Parts: sequence; structure tokens; C-alpha cells
Amino acid sequence: MGAIHNEIRRLRFEHGEMTQQQLAEKINLTRQTVNAIEQGKYSPSLEAAFRISAVFGKPLESVFHYSNDE
Amino acid sequence: MSFREKSAWISVLSMSGIYGFYFWSVIHSRSKGGGFHFGGLLGTIIALVVLQVVLTVAVAIFSPREAKAPRDERDKLIELRAMRVAYAGLATSVALACFFGAFNPPIVFNTNALLFILVTAEIMRSACQIVQYRRGE
Repeated sequence: MGAIHNEIRRLRFEHGEMTQQQLAEKINLTRQTVNAIEQGKYSPSLEAAFRISAVFGKPLESVFHYSNDE
Repeated sequence: MSFREKSAWISVLSMSGIYGFYFWSVIHSRSKGGGFHFGGLLGTIIALVVLQVVLTVAVAIFSPREAKAPRDERDKLIELRAMRVAYAGLATSVALACFFGAFNPPIVFNTNALLFILVTAEIMRSACQIVQYRRGE
């Protein structure tokens, strides 16, 4: 089964050590949801993924990666 | 712990406690020959509403920012999954009630038995939400 990995933790660090709460407020999600996304436990909707990418000014594929483990 | 998870805990604990006491009272009054008392049920519902409101307000006072935040997509997904589990339990219970009702003589579920099914489904819903929040899904 495939999995979605992301670079959110690194990108937050590179953007002035942005906290999960600050990111959550920018994209209208809760801090718990940002944490779940960051840990790969929850895959965000396409819209949320685009919003996250927009916050960091990166294309979607630079923030999220899909790997097929099969 | 998010505000939504705390709300689910409030729901599970308050419903288990208050309805648990109600059903315990019903079983004991039945053993003494008592029947269904609407007043008892009404009092239970009022006590449940008051307790849930008080606890929810208390939680909101301690974490106002989280309490004001609207449900996000993950909260809605968790609610939908929990609702699906609760619905499956409720539908199965109703199907069993219909099955037993077809017996000759029929085993008819009384008001309290139906209420028990409804309360159990509601507790299942909140418990399922808690499990998903704990697992971080």
C-alpha cells in the first residue's frame, strides 16, 4: 500500500521555526491535524495540501511525496 | 488533547454515568414491581444536558482558542467514520429487535430496551471518535 510523505517539518524549520499552531491558523486547520499530517498519520485533502504548499511558496510535489511500497 | 476529543470524552463519561445510573434504577425498580416512569427519564435527560453543558463550558474556559476553532476536515472525517460505526450498531440492534418480534409469542422490546440501544449507539459514536483522535488518524 502506498504512503504519502511530506517535508512540512523541515519547511516549518526553514520558515523561521514556524510552529504547528501558526501553520494551522494560516491554512484553517487545527494544530492536531497539522501534527497528524506531519507525522504521516493523516493524508490531507487536495485543497489543504495546496494551501500548505502555498504557505511555503513551494509546488505541491516539493512538499508531498507519494511512494508505492508494493 | 483537542477540544473535540475532550467533548467526546465528556459525552462518553456523562452518558455512561447518568444513563448507567438510570438503567440500574430501572432494573432495580422492575425487580420490585415498578414500571416505566417518564419522570425518571425526563430527570435523566435534564441531568445529562446540564452536566454536558457545564463540563463543555468548563473545558472551553480553559482552552478558549481551541473551543472557538471550527471543525476542520479531519474532525469531520472522524465524525463521519464514528457515525458509520454507530449506525452499524444501531441498525444491527434494530434488526435483532425485529427478529425477536417475529417470534411466537413475540419478544417485544420495551421503551427502556430501545432507549438502551440508542444510548449504546451514541456512546459507540463518541468512543469511536476518541479512538481515532488517540491514534492520530
